[in-house]
Amino acid sequence: MASEDLFQNDYSEEPDLGQDFDKGDEMNIDAAEHGAEEVEQAIEQTNIPSSANVDPPASTTTEQAKTSNANKTSEHEHDAKLTQLPMARIRNIMKLDPDLQIASNEAVFAVTKAVELFIESLAREAFTYTAQAKKKTVQKRDVDLAISAVDSLMFLDGALNF
Amino acid sequence: MVERIEDLNLPNAVIARLIKEALPEGSNVSKEARAAIAKAASVFAIFITSSSTALAHKQNHRTITAKDILQTLNELDFESFVPSLTQDLEVYRKMVRDKKESKAKKDSSAGDAIASSSSAATAAENEDAN
Repeated sequence: MASEDLFQNDYSEEPDLGQDFDKGDEMNIDAAEHGAEEVEQAIEQTNIPSSANVDPPASTTTEQAKTSNANKTSEHEHDAKLTQLPMARIRNIMKLDPDLQIASNEAVFAVTKAVELFIESLAREAFTYTAQAKKKTVQKRDVDLAISAVDSLMFLDGALNF
Repeated sequence: MVERIEDLNLPNAVIARLIKEALPEGSNVSKEARAAIAKAASVFAIFITSSSTALAHKQNHRTITAKDILQTLNELDFESFVPSLTQDLEVYRKMVRDKKESKAKKDSSAGDAIASSSSAATAAENEDAN
């Protein structure tokens, strides 16, 4: 049970860290995103003790070491955030639409996340053609094939040929 | 406003990482293929923006919201994105809320005499920083 107590400590400590971070840092977008990341991690951690209880003590300590390591990296990684792509860049792209008047921050976030998912699914789709050709490297040809094969990607037809 | 056209390109390193995460280990992506995917991603962003704008205008809304984006994705056959996006939005909202709360706490603790020494110290530090 001692191990669980330690986890509890980690858990209660983390939000404080996030808050201190907020207090100290006026550029608090990064800081708050960092905080959210920590909350997420804390949630993950709460899941760990249930499996740790079953494990022999030796492995609990290694697991504990692992999580505290993970904590450290997230503390040091200041740009740990919810999105991988920069939201400001996506907002600029969105502003190209002359009819767009105002986009809420949530809308920009949603578009950013959607673009990330889009990149991943297009890459996966293209890879099916790479695999069919028994190759390991995705070529432009595979991307083109994926675009012409999938109906929802019709909007890209011709958009990539300049 | 956008000053240089490069400001509209998505960062290459991030694109490369996202693609890598999606593909099985040991596979690669040629430069041209990555450029094509990056361009497609930009076009996709414009595409869903303009569709969402049209949708918002139809409802006489001036501001496009996350709801408009989700509805647009549904209409454009990207409904597979919606469940994961809905989850991410929850996390995002929570983050924004937490940020607000901790800011409010900071403001009140700055003027509060009974504030615990540690938070008073950070508040003072913060004032120094300002």
